[in-house]
Amino acid sequence: MGSLDQQTLPAALKARGVSRRQFVKFCSTMVATLALPPRYLGAVVKAMESARRPVLVWLEFQDCAGNSESMLRTSNPTVTEFVLDLLSWEYHETIMAGAGKQAEAALERVVREHKGEYIAVVEGAIPTADDGVYCTIAGRTALEIARHVCSSAAASIAVGACAWDGGLVRANPNPTGAVGLQEAVPGIKVVNLGGCPHNPANTAAVLVHYLTFHEMPALDQYNRPLFAYGNIIHDQCERRAHYDAGRYVEEWGDEGHRKGWCLYKMGCKGPEATFNCPVVRWNDGTSWPVKSGHGCIACASHRFWDNKSPFYKRLPQVPGFGVDVTAEKIGWVALGAMAGAAAAQAIGSTIRKKVRPPEASEGPTKPSSSPEA
Amino acid sequence: MTEMHGGSRQISGPYQLAPGRTRIYVWEKPVRFAHWLLVLSLVVLSVTGYYIYNPFVISRGRAAYVMGTARFIHLVAAWAFIAAILVRFYWFFRGNRWARINQFIPTRRERWQDAVETVKYYMFRRWNPTPRIGHNALAGATYTLIFGIAVIEIITGLALYNNVVHSKCLGLLVGWVPRLADIQWLREIHFLVMFALWFFFIHHMYSVLLAASEEKNGCVEGMVSGYKFVTQADLQREFGTRPGGEKSEPVRAVRQTPAAGKVSG
Ligand code: SF4
Ligand code: SF4
Repeated sequence: MGSLDQQTLPAALKARGVSRRQFVKFCSTMVATLALPPRYLGAVVKAMESARRPVLVWLEFQDCAGNSESMLRTSNPTVTEFVLDLLSWEYHETIMAGAGKQAEAALERVVREHKGEYIAVVEGAIPTADDGVYCTIAGRTALEIARHVCSSAAASIAVGACAWDGGLVRANPNPTGAVGLQEAVPGIKVVNLGGCPHNPANTAAVLVHYLTFHEMPALDQYNRPLFAYGNIIHDQCERRAHYDAGRYVEEWGDEGHRKGWCLYKMGCKGPEATFNCPVVRWNDGTSWPVKSGHGCIACASHRFWDNKSPFYKRLPQVPGFGVDVTAEKIGWVALGAMAGAAAAQAIGSTIRKKVRPPEASEGPTKPSSSPEA
Repeated sequence: MTEMHGGSRQISGPYQLAPGRTRIYVWEKPVRFAHWLLVLSLVVLSVTGYYIYNPFVISRGRAAYVMGTARFIHLVAAWAFIAAILVRFYWFFRGNRWARINQFIPTRRERWQDAVETVKYYMFRRWNPTPRIGHNALAGATYTLIFGIAVIEIITGLALYNNVVHSKCLGLLVGWVPRLADIQWLREIHFLVMFALWFFFIHHMYSVLLAASEEKNGCVEGMVSGYKFVTQADLQREFGTRPGGEKSEPVRAVRQTPAAGKVSG
């Protein structure tokens, strides 16, 4: 982690031995990720060259460190290098050298000395049940830390599903009362980067946007940047032609699966998920889950653990029925019951007609207990 | 009219009425149009909708476009379905006394009692059905339910559709829906309502055939021609008079809507 010196990005990159060529390449990747027209490249490069690196703190609460991992595991140096050097990282429990009192002092210093200037990145959900005792760091609950740090930040970024909406931690039955950042600390400026994990390319793009235009990118109703969450997976999927044609994988490893057909019948949630996963992809643009043969589980959708499961079936479980009772089964049984009732009624009515006393059949409108006047 | 009532045996011509029966114009054109458009669109929507849920046709040709076609047909039929529902809803307020909204929502005590009697009839607690020139109160209430779930189907359908097209106009109409329930639950509801409509279909077929055999008033053909053949007692109960009298002259009786307040029973 750097010190609090406010050196410029090119200087920091030079110290790391990143060439100008790699730098421009990174900038153009970011322009593409942000879905900006190519003519913005010049502006982005210029902004990146002259930007004073803002201070960043990365808070981890109820998390698996998967978002940190995702950030650090990009094999090609660029994204990692740039993201680490784009900003001056002052606090990140998992990767910082300092520990204990020293580390907490660094966090306090940022909040004190850079009030209203630093960026707070949050990873993981925040428990609220029982006064938030289910996650405490250095004697303070996650809720206290989030309130303290995020309310003094210039902007907060919630990375991953858990920080956005509670994610896995909040999934039913949510024993710790976990919520996402914007629910835990209402009223702060927050950008949500859902996904399990977040895609580091998107997070880098948000930071680049912030450094270039001095504001956060356009957001949707969940405060997620539209450039990353504005399109449906299904509309960007390379298997889409098979979907429209009607060619589906029926079973893992069958002929269709080997030929790369659509995973719709295997429960792919691409048709209801929004993310730029198929375009940005993972591992430096190598692949993404559907390309490698697994259906999308809509990891970047709101409360996806509860809403999009079961991941290998088209429709959710009907509440109140056993796990292997599908909505379709319920439908057919109800229809069968109706048909049975109709048949029984038909038999009954035929008998009634036969045994109806003549005075009752005088006219169909002379019932014994007629209500009408 | 070859169906006879009360054991009479006189049939002398295709337009001869059974003794004691009056030919009466019940279902106006918009009602019949909406009815059959609903039937047609529902059949098409069900077949394509089930395919979209579970694409059972395995297509192998290079130029195959089965799902694409099924979705296209589903969407076209959906608009037809919406149109039919809108026509019918409009006619709740413009139609004759048997098409009006008060036939569907039992707000009057007589209608409630009528519904109870009809339930008794279905439960074999009564010898005879409770014929009405229009719908009996129970049937009316059932149709209200069906119109209600048709509206649910339309709302969930449009919300799912807007998930694909992202239209601003449609967003104004159904943008609130995905905030209420996740898109997967909308899909689930949309799917289950299809079964509810099939459920109703079986029930409707059975009730209509039962009514046709019990009341012999041409209630099946009536949805095609618009006419029913009702007894004097039916007329008596409905209007308190006997238009046509004993002569049973084929009258296009009561075309005009009487003042809504006068609707009886
Ligand atoms: S694999 Fe999934 S996202 Fe791709 S076309 Fe099929 S259903 Fe859509
Ligand atoms: S395919 Fe779907 S579930 Fe998988 S990473 Fe991409 S958006 Fe997430």
